[in-house]
Amino acid sequence: MTTQPKFDLPQGTLDLLILRIVALAPVHGYAIAQRIQMISKEALQIQQGSLYPALHRLENKNFLVAEWGPTETGREAKFYRLTAKGRTQLKTETQSWERLTEVVAMILQHPLGEPS
Amino acid sequence: MNWFQRLSKTDRMERELDAEIRFHFESQVADKIRAGLTEAEARRATRLEFGGIEQVKEDCRESRGTLWLVSIVQDLRFGARILARSPGFSITAIVVLALGIGVSTLAFSLYNIIALQAIPVRDPATVVRVERRSRENTTPGVPYSSIAYYRESAKSLSAVMATMNAAPMVLNEDEQRVSSTFVSSNYFGELGGSAMIGRLFDFAREDAGSAPVAVLDFRFWQRRFDSDPSIVGKTIRLNGKPATVVGVTPEAFANLGTENADIWLPLLQHSYFVEGSKSLADPKFDGLILMWGRLAPGVSTSRAEQELLALTNHLRKLYPNVIWDHERIVVTPGAHFLSLEEGGPVLALVGLLVFLILAIACANLGGLLMARGAGRQREIQLRFDLGAHRLRVFRQLLTENLLLGLLGSIAALPLSYAVLRLVLVYSNAPAWMSAMPDWRVLLFTAAMGFVAALVFGLLPTLQMVRRKKERFLWHQLVVCAQVGASCALLILAGLLVRATLHTLYSDPGFGYEQVLSIDPGMSEHGFTSSSAQVYLEKLQNRLQAVPGVTSVSVAMNPPLVNKEVMITGIDVGGRRIMIYPNWVGPEFFETMRIPLLWGRSFRAGEKNAVILSESLARKRWPTEDPIGKQWKGGKDIVVGVVGNTRAMEMNNTDETEIYYPPTADILPEMSVLIKTVGDPNTLSPVIKSIAGSIDPKLFPTITPLTAGFRKNVSEVEQIATIICLLGSIAIFLAVVGLLGLVSYAVAQRTREIAIRLALGANRAEVFSGVLRRFAWPVLLGLVAGVAITVSLSQILRRGLYGISGLDPISYVGAIAILIAILAAAALLPIHRAFQLDISRILHSE
Repeated sequence: MTTQPKFDLPQGTLDLLILRIVALAPVHGYAIAQRIQMISKEALQIQQGSLYPALHRLENKNFLVAEWGPTETGREAKFYRLTAKGRTQLKTETQSWERLTEVVAMILQHPLGEPS
Repeated sequence: MNWFQRLSKTDRMERELDAEIRFHFESQVADKIRAGLTEAEARRATRLEFGGIEQVKEDCRESRGTLWLVSIVQDLRFGARILARSPGFSITAIVVLALGIGVSTLAFSLYNIIALQAIPVRDPATVVRVERRSRENTTPGVPYSSIAYYRESAKSLSAVMATMNAAPMVLNEDEQRVSSTFVSSNYFGELGGSAMIGRLFDFAREDAGSAPVAVLDFRFWQRRFDSDPSIVGKTIRLNGKPATVVGVTPEAFANLGTENADIWLPLLQHSYFVEGSKSLADPKFDGLILMWGRLAPGVSTSRAEQELLALTNHLRKLYPNVIWDHERIVVTPGAHFLSLEEGGPVLALVGLLVFLILAIACANLGGLLMARGAGRQREIQLRFDLGAHRLRVFRQLLTENLLLGLLGSIAALPLSYAVLRLVLVYSNAPAWMSAMPDWRVLLFTAAMGFVAALVFGLLPTLQMVRRKKERFLWHQLVVCAQVGASCALLILAGLLVRATLHTLYSDPGFGYEQVLSIDPGMSEHGFTSSSAQVYLEKLQNRLQAVPGVTSVSVAMNPPLVNKEVMITGIDVGGRRIMIYPNWVGPEFFETMRIPLLWGRSFRAGEKNAVILSESLARKRWPTEDPIGKQWKGGKDIVVGVVGNTRAMEMNNTDETEIYYPPTADILPEMSVLIKTVGDPNTLSPVIKSIAGSIDPKLFPTITPLTAGFRKNVSEVEQIATIICLLGSIAIFLAVVGLLGLVSYAVAQRTREIAIRLALGANRAEVFSGVLRRFAWPVLLGLVAGVAITVSLSQILRRGLYGISGLDPISYVGAIAILIAILAAAALLPIHRAFQLDISRILHSE
């Protein structure tokens, strides 16, 4: 296939990215995929097969609510919006992600070959 | 949104899901066109990128967490289609289940009405029955003086009620006696409900000194007074005593403890209506007054028992002779038609019969499912070949069974409702009893359908899924269960029918025709033993002088008349023998035509003598001459032995009676028996006028013994009819089930049979080969059925009216009928197989 992701997303990261994108403004599924692709400078390509189940899962957990509305081209699309619960989730998830990358970076940047 | 909402909006969510994915798809296509592709190319590329749209959707559904529910709905829809495709099987299965479940639902509904449902009174949960118990004594009643004391002192009871059923009373000049119940003045107020017309008793207005009043029961008012609304304020006479009718109870009024009487009277006016009565004043008089209470808010029955026990210990100081040693007070829920203790053995028997019917129905369902499984082999194989999971197919088949169970339950409900309505109407049940199923019945019915479908659908289904060709063992188990249960039911039916015939056509051991029982009701009217003796002597002398009367005697328990029967017992060689005691005058055996076998009858005024029935004498002294022996090692000497009778209970197969001469203290309880030539009923007016001239305050109850005999017989007949009905349902079910099983066995081997026939085998041999498979399970089933019945026969013995629980005719008859039916059920499919077109079958595969 032509649109393989350039690398695999760690488990649960897609949810965090979706929450982050949706937090900016109500947005439909296609736009979420587009934005992630754009912001990541094409490094990340989200497949429909992962995007939509993730959206429905987040909606089911009440992190997102959806309503139908017209797009800029006038077509009806399902727009997702962050709930208060989703906002809290985004905050905690972001923090734990930052903490995780920090720790991972700390280990990775540790000079090799030296005993600790 | 909870799962239920989500499920109910399935269609909308499906549409939205589709629109959402399609939007994504179209947007992607549009972007590609903008990037310079042609539309066809853009679509092709997008479709490639998407992979499977359906797969994406399925993943979305799964992440919503409702997939399992949706698929169950799918399974149900599919199951319904499958069942609709073979209506013959489905209808048979549903009818079989409906009968099996319907019978159990009916039995449960009855049980529910009489024992589980609260009767419709105000706040039924707090209404309680209060009774006295000790290690030696049990009595339903409480002395009125104690009731009054408890009412004044008990804090745990917010109200105390009392009821007392009276002997049938004479209303105006009516020939027909009326039943009446005396109730405490707060009775109607406590139980709630307002009068149909007029008013009910009023706590503030009715007491011993106020004007005598009566309340009519709704049905009696309809029957006797033609629903005349102007009856209120009119005067009626009960036992000659005038009383004003103040009102009529509402139609649905529910009495505590028993059915409604015809007339309600204030308990405090008992001595007015029953002249000479000391029921309220005498602290020893306790047999007839029942005590009821209403628990104070937040009080439990055990706390009430504790408080009443403390009060009882205080009462003992006031009435030392009345309160028993170690007496305790038992407080039980009172707002039920029947308490559970009363109907134990009967309930067990009914439960067992119902279980048998249900077992037969379920075994049938198992057989039918199996027969059908053979026909569906290809379909199931195909589904496996197409890649279905084993579990998924299993679940689908199970859903089908459950659907059948559900449909069976639904069909069972109207069936049970209709029969229950008939039963309630014919038994003249209280108006508040409704045949309408309540939540308990609905739950029970649903559970029955579920269990039936699950238990008996599980094994055949498992075997279908495991694709095992040989279902021999299960097959035989089904036949065995079916034959066993049917056999047990048929034998029971046979036993009871024979018992009915026996009661009708065998000698009860005494002459009941042309004997009248006359109960003067002296004890109720406060007679002492000396006044009773005077009265009895006068009455006997006057009756002897009446032309047509050939013999007169006194007896404590006139045969077949009383509802309650006294039973005592002695231990002989470690075995307990039940004995029916009676206290009788010297002429009793002549009046009742009971033959004197050895010794002599009582002499007038004799004491310390007993007479035994032959079978009791044999049981006590198997080898010795009983005459002159001491009874129980006491002062009583055996003076005579008389013939066996079933005088006390028609179903008393032991016929162990003991007769004592009347003692002074029980004289007020005595009845008089007369034997007549010609129709004894013509003597009633003469007897009444004689009784009236001796003591006008007594209104003796005159009962021909034939009436009691007929009542006994009709009770047996009713039971036998019900059992026969159950038996025929069982036969019907057995026929359907066996028909299915034999058809199945033949169908399974059609090819083999055809080949053998084509090769010139003898037809009879071929089919006996098919049927031989059933021989062992049928035999085992018969043995099991006989074993079940034999082990039950001890419980049954008392209900069997003189028939042994091992009566060979019933057993042989039932087995013969069953075998005949089995043979007939086997012949039909075999007959069909005879018409087989051999060449077509051999070409078909």
